[in-house]
Amino acid sequence: MSIVAGSSAYLEGDTEVQTGVAGFLLHPVAQGVALAAALALVLGAWFVGQARTEILTDHWNREVIQELMGLAESAAAIEAADKGRSEELLGVMLTRLPGTEGRDAGYRVLRLSGARLLASTASGDVGDMAAPRRLSREEKWLFDLGQGIRASVQTNRDEGIYRRRQVEVDEVGDSLFRISLPYFVDDKVAGIVQAELRRPDTTSSASLPLTVGMGIGAYLVTLLVLAIAGKERREKDVAFHKPWVLFFAAVAILSVVAYAYGRIELGGVERLYRSAAAELAADLLEIKESVGFLAGEAGVTVSPGEDNRWDVDLYQRPIGVIDGSGQIVNAGLEAQTAVIRDQLGRALRLNWIAGLVVVLFFGLGFARRLRRTVREHKYAYVYVMPAMIGMLLLAFFPFGYGILLSFTSQTVLTVSEPITELLVGFQNYINILGDFDLFQKTAEGAVINYQNFYWTLYITVCWTIFNVTVGVTLGVILALVLNTKGLKYTNIYRVLLILPWAIPNYITALIWKGMFHQQFGVINQAIQMFGGAPIAWFDGVFSSFMTGLITNGWLSFPFMMVITLGALQSIPADLYEAATIDGADRWQQFRHVTLPSLKPTLIPAIIISVVWTFNMFNVIYLVSGGEPAGANEILITKSYKIAFEEYRYGYAAAYSVVIFFILVFYGIFQTKMTRATEAANA
Amino acid sequence: MNTRSLVTKSLWACCLTTLLGWTAASAADLVVWHAYRGAERAAFEKVVSNFNASQGDIKVKTLPVPYDAYADKITAAIPRGRGPDVFIFAQDRLGGWVEGGQTVESIDFYLEDGTVDALLPGLMEAMSYRDTVYGLPIAYKSPALVYNKAMIETPPTTTTELVTMAKKFTAAAGGRYGLVYEYSNFYFHSALMNAFGGRVFDPEGPTPTLDDPRIVASINLMMKWFREDGIVPADPSSTLVTALFNDGKTPMVFNGPWFISEVEGVDVGVAAMPTVEEAGGEPMKPWLTVEGIYVSAQSDHKEAAYEFARYVATDDESAFIRAVEGRQLPSHAGVYERPEVAGDPILSGFRAQYNNSVPMPNYAEMTLMWSPVTTAMNKITKGAASPEAGLGAAQKELEASIAALRTGR
Repeated sequence: MSIVAGSSAYLEGDTEVQTGVAGFLLHPVAQGVALAAALALVLGAWFVGQARTEILTDHWNREVIQELMGLAESAAAIEAADKGRSEELLGVMLTRLPGTEGRDAGYRVLRLSGARLLASTASGDVGDMAAPRRLSREEKWLFDLGQGIRASVQTNRDEGIYRRRQVEVDEVGDSLFRISLPYFVDDKVAGIVQAELRRPDTTSSASLPLTVGMGIGAYLVTLLVLAIAGKERREKDVAFHKPWVLFFAAVAILSVVAYAYGRIELGGVERLYRSAAAELAADLLEIKESVGFLAGEAGVTVSPGEDNRWDVDLYQRPIGVIDGSGQIVNAGLEAQTAVIRDQLGRALRLNWIAGLVVVLFFGLGFARRLRRTVREHKYAYVYVMPAMIGMLLLAFFPFGYGILLSFTSQTVLTVSEPITELLVGFQNYINILGDFDLFQKTAEGAVINYQNFYWTLYITVCWTIFNVTVGVTLGVILALVLNTKGLKYTNIYRVLLILPWAIPNYITALIWKGMFHQQFGVINQAIQMFGGAPIAWFDGVFSSFMTGLITNGWLSFPFMMVITLGALQSIPADLYEAATIDGADRWQQFRHVTLPSLKPTLIPAIIISVVWTFNMFNVIYLVSGGEPAGANEILITKSYKIAFEEYRYGYAAAYSVVIFFILVFYGIFQTKMTRATEAANA
Repeated sequence: MNTRSLVTKSLWACCLTTLLGWTAASAADLVVWHAYRGAERAAFEKVVSNFNASQGDIKVKTLPVPYDAYADKITAAIPRGRGPDVFIFAQDRLGGWVEGGQTVESIDFYLEDGTVDALLPGLMEAMSYRDTVYGLPIAYKSPALVYNKAMIETPPTTTTELVTMAKKFTAAAGGRYGLVYEYSNFYFHSALMNAFGGRVFDPEGPTPTLDDPRIVASINLMMKWFREDGIVPADPSSTLVTALFNDGKTPMVFNGPWFISEVEGVDVGVAAMPTVEEAGGEPMKPWLTVEGIYVSAQSDHKEAAYEFARYVATDDESAFIRAVEGRQLPSHAGVYERPEVAGDPILSGFRAQYNNSVPMPNYAEMTLMWSPVTTAMNKITKGAASPEAGLGAAQKELEASIAALRTGR
């Protein structure tokens, strides 16, 4: 498995190795570097292309938004000044907006109250349908868009955070875009202004010659290194020695290529952004003049102000790169370029790591092993393929999605956003595992914080240990009783004793909950009949724990009993005879004959039981509900509450992954332990 | 007839019926989901068949869904396009659905003044989220004072009268109590809280106000009933309430229309909850659950769906059938003047309670509220915490949950 073994295969005369020139050109290290470089560069080119396209698209959006903001302010001013004439004035203004000329643009101004289209130069609004008019039944989408923007503004203001877009950009056709934003009268959203126009092609990509050139360069340099390294061995035409040196050379070549590519392209992206900003600044001056002039004709004055209120992002926050007089604000520009640089830099770094993984894959011999096993066991893979695909889709994909979700901060409020925007790395795990706030100081002294993860873990572990112990003990005892020779009616007893397992545990849990009722529950009535004081079961942590324990004990012993019965009946009787002859009493027989024979069956059953009990949601949720105050919750009920009562899906997913890892480690640990003990016994 | 001709004949029959089916298909086929059972379901299906008969363009089919999974089915199915065109649900999940998106369609655009005027005032608020209307209210329910007519002739109108009457019936040793209701369940306690003027969320927006002194005052009154007057039992659960009422061990309960169907062997009367003298004569105002009919955001026939929704909510006959046969409390204002409805003591009792009720908030954050307040109520009723401390802790927890929800951590 090591690099030495991989390369030393050559020394042993592996029949797969091609010799000669082909062997040189297809040397694993060269292959590895070529593939890794290809992967890193192709991905890198894609990311860079995305970043460049985004800058250009953003630039176009901002051009339109600047103009629309000017229009919005004009509309607001006109409506505030003279509502009666606003339709006429706006109608005139719209037809003379600079954007209309030669851009196939249509503008609309909609007043929400009364669903009134105040003015429109959109292509469909002519003749009968010319503005001003009330919206028709088919134009409900326009009204809803306005309402949506109004609700977003209200949400952002109420919650004090910007989580809903106040500027909507929608693609409505073949490169036809619609941008809408609100206008405010008396500080409330009174309507929206909208522009519908064609966007020129803003796709941009990384430099192809550079990408391809660097890839080929990496490959050639690797070949060169290989040639140098293998000079002494050339006559034997076998493996090129010094495997470690080759490996590090490969890593170095890849890193240099990735780094160089990254620097060059990042520089290009930054230059692009700066030039776009300069264009936008010039644009602002034009718009300020034209919109100002048109507004003046309509009798109002508008201006972007010193801090340039018109250049805003999709949440209508000023971007702060261009000021009101068309000058670039350096601090703002630096801040924006830093953001772009960070994002793209992060993506390119990930590419580098992906490339490294590929190099490792080849260098550590995995590629060769994969090739060999697929060739050897071709048919096996074909047979397994359907099942593998099924498992992939039905088990691994949801599982993988859950893990991805655990790295995000998705909640019900962000469910419709693409998941890649919500990534927060390990923050959820840090919050869960790093929560050491176990003790809280209150007026009554130090009190345990029952919402803490470690307390819940402690309760879950106690819950599991006690339950499995009780279940196994009861099950084994009852199985031994049932296994008594000559016992009549064993079938009836068996059926009765399996009933707890047969009844759905949901119903059982609810019945037991009723039985534990403080005043009218059967258990307290029985206690009182014997002269005791009734216990308030769900008031204390311990008594509440006991309710769950009793209920689950009742539920779990049949399973253990059945397993043990089966195992007991397979113990050969002569073992007992031999033991009796040797003078062992009942207890010693049990310890030295019965228990060891039960172990192979009981151990897996215990592992299963531990995993089931660890995640026994029904009993805890339905009987005690985690009372008092969440002190009795186990990890799985906590996770449920977080997901479906607090709607924090990302955090709950992280919780579930933590539970999964705890159980996986337990499973591995248990298996190792039992193998050790079995080995000792055997 | 041999097999061959049989096969041919049946093939022809199939083709013909399909053809006929195509031609008979109406302009819009709608599917409506609901979780009704029993009498409510029968009444609703009658309304639907009346609607289908009254016009030929829209054909509506109903699909009853079991209540347990209903809300989750809607949340999961509709955004993926697998849901109905119309569905009926209470208003408590509305906030969550609107925030999640792609589930409910806003209907302000279709709404006319005539529609709103036909309904009881104050119900549209429950169907609106952030000032946008998402559904039409079709029915409402809230707890009221349900009493045993054999034990009490005239129900009390003030809390002082209530306590005096209740004390007469209380004999704790024999398990008899003058008043039984789930006072530790915040849903039922809300009536008292609203009387004192306390609110869970600020009316302006979803900011919690659980530690408001008015809520503390309401809890103090409730604890007085429990501790000093002893008129309510310890540990009240819904089964206990039903059991005691049916056994004749209590003359009065605060419960809702769903409780009436569980009453057996008792001549039951319904009246409005009494006024609270300790709160300056304000009446107890329980939370109103408003059942609304919503248009799905993924429906292909939204206008037709709205027409159907409007029919169910505002048509006179539809309201009458739902009231008399379905034993619902319709949102239609005029139906309560019909003699059959006005003369029905139970319906008119709950209708009287409507005048003093507050719609339950429909914020998405509402579900975050239940856990902290339940913990607080449990601690307070067991004496483990004072009302101020309990509510203070609940307020902190709720603020933390909301903050976590907003920032996603």
